[in-house]
Amino acid sequence: MKKHRGELDIDEDIELESANWKIQRVAWVLMALVVIAALLGFTGDGGIGNFQTLKAGDSAEGLEVEYERFLRRGAPAEIKVKLKPSASDTLTDLHLSKEFHEKLEVDKVVPEPSEVYATEKGITYRFASANQPFAVTFYLTPNGMGSMPLHFSTSEKKVAITQFIYP
Amino acid sequence: METVIRGLILYVFLMIIFRVSGKRTLYEATVFDFVLLLIIAETAEQALVGEDQSMTNSFVLIVTLLLADISLSLLKQKFNYFGKVLDGVPVIILDDGKLLHDRLKKVRVDEADIMESARALQGLQRLDQIKYAILEKDGKITIIPKEQEQKEIEKV
Repeated sequence: MKKHRGELDIDEDIELESANWKIQRVAWVLMALVVIAALLGFTGDGGIGNFQTLKAGDSAEGLEVEYERFLRRGAPAEIKVKLKPSASDTLTDLHLSKEFHEKLEVDKVVPEPSEVYATEKGITYRFASANQPFAVTFYLTPNGMGSMPLHFSTSEKKVAITQFIYP
Repeated sequence: METVIRGLILYVFLMIIFRVSGKRTLYEATVFDFVLLLIIAETAEQALVGEDQSMTNSFVLIVTLLLADISLSLLKQKFNYFGKVLDGVPVIILDDGKLLHDRLKKVRVDEADIMESARALQGLQRLDQIKYAILEKDGKITIIPKEQEQKEIEKV
């Protein structure tokens, strides 16, 4: 135990403490950055101005996917898909790669598909339509983690997106 | 398995975040500090338990957290410097009757805080009755009065 002024037994280490104060200041800046990042949507939910809500594909070409760049495990998420009805068939197929049902739990699909079937490569939803463009919303709960590439395809068009799931 | 990982991650995260927040942050100086602490506890609970509400999960979690704490205290005992880095060290903020203003600013303590402790712990009335004031590791301020004051206190 060190002695301060020859009378006070105290384990003071002012060098360590000043280093600590510097680290604290840096950490406060980092904490501010985390909050700003969260406000800008880097932890999910789109954020201010919905910067992290992205669109892929083109509804004029028959397939457009609206999704969020960042998801959180266990937190509800949505993917909106705009489809054009198939010209040759009364039913419209939407094929999704297998990451979709491996890393996401599908809570609800609106409108409900008339048929769903899984293959080795993924899962296919068949929708009945009134011969005009329509939108399908998938209500999901992510249960995987990390980067998740997804492929959406109809008979005419393919769209690939990548989402990231935080723990 | 997931419970253990959750517990350890949260343990380390909380330790770091409270360490870098500084000693006086959330030190129960006001009622609001206490309320904030409760809110943080409530928020941390979600990250700890997730959706698993089983008893097994709670037991595993409690054992994990306590074991982490015991291991850490053993490490601190063995490696003195490690303990200092983790817990910080006491800082003298009033030295031989003189306020050390640069340190006060760094640790976010003012004269009023020192006087509060002086009143509570020693029953002192004025700043000039204090010889040393020390900000301890846990954020408390301890007071050593000047010698003539000490004698008076002992007389009473």
